[in-house]
Amino acid sequence: MARIVGGIGSSHAPSIAQAWDKGQQSDPLWAPLFDGYQPVKRWLAGLRPDLMIVVYNDHMNRFFFDAYPTFALGVAESFPQADEGWGKRDLPDLPGDSAFGWHLARSLVEDEFDPTICQEMAVDHGILSVLPMLTDARWPAPIIPIAVNVIQHPLPTARRLWRLGGAIRHAVETFPEDRRVVVIGTGGLSHQLHGERFGMVSPEWDSRYLDLLESDPEQLAALSHHDYMERGGAESVEMILWLAMRAALPARVRRVHRNYHAPLITGYGLLALEP
Amino acid sequence: MTDIPGTTVFTGERSQQGYRLNHLAMSLTDPANRDRFRADEAGTMRAMGLTDSEIDLVARRDWAGTIEAGGSIYLMIKIAGTLGQNLLEVGAQMRGETLDQLKSSLPGLRGH
Repeated sequence: MARIVGGIGSSHAPSIAQAWDKGQQSDPLWAPLFDGYQPVKRWLAGLRPDLMIVVYNDHMNRFFFDAYPTFALGVAESFPQADEGWGKRDLPDLPGDSAFGWHLARSLVEDEFDPTICQEMAVDHGILSVLPMLTDARWPAPIIPIAVNVIQHPLPTARRLWRLGGAIRHAVETFPEDRRVVVIGTGGLSHQLHGERFGMVSPEWDSRYLDLLESDPEQLAALSHHDYMERGGAESVEMILWLAMRAALPARVRRVHRNYHAPLITGYGLLALEP
Repeated sequence: MTDIPGTTVFTGERSQQGYRLNHLAMSLTDPANRDRFRADEAGTMRAMGLTDSEIDLVARRDWAGTIEAGGSIYLMIKIAGTLGQNLLEVGAQMRGETLDQLKSSLPGLRGH
């Protein structure tokens, strides 16, 4: 039987990808970010995952407003990198797992989630700015991408993401083959990319959020989009994506590692949990 | 949803209002379209059906104006990037500051 062996919440950002590609891992500005992933990288390698389910958001790279899915599930055998408008990075395509993907599709729909099911799904920095920090392999296991609309309101609620995590756990636990599954939720912590509040960061709120995510995540599921946007900036509403990862894990978890670094216009956060 | 100062919530209605600007930006995920746009900004925008006022906002690099006109920031940075501006330059314009003023407020860049 398949089971969930770990959960990871991580910020994603084009700036992370750029610093990584420039080789700034030891740069004083970036080292506190990249060094924070080392313990999680070692832990993840030891977990030997067979599958990684990633709840993230696409940033207008695969999906456009002509037909914009609230939830999109990738069932392809591989996922190419999207060109985000400034060329592709030197990274291979991600392998998929169609057998699990279609199982997840059926299970989610039975649980009254109705994702757009994608047989072609290019993925962006929502996944690819994070994975190279988590593993030296290219890549260690197939992935299942689940993209969520956190851009064009109306957005799914925080509570809805919490329930999605439960539905993911149910799908994993009903898959008949053995799989060691890691669930990853990615999204920027506090940040706002437009308007007069461009550049706002709130380390206090980010810290409180990371505390609650671990110890009392249903408090976070009860918050409104307005609460998130007011406290952490409009684009920080991506924080609700981490809730799906947290809900896929049991109520009581062991913290493997936590990291936070906010040198620029967002809080870069990382939280690794074990059931 | 009540207003948050200094913030424009990207509602569906705004998305519809800004559809042409956003569509232009989405086309720039194709390198050939980026080359075409750089070679002839106004002509590309006219061919894609942008209004005169939308073309003018891009010509003046008025990113705050494009957000007000329904642009998504995730898409407007594709236009800015194609035209050689980075996110911090876009942010400074939206805050009504110079790039140096913005950088002086970022903890990781103070003194650089």
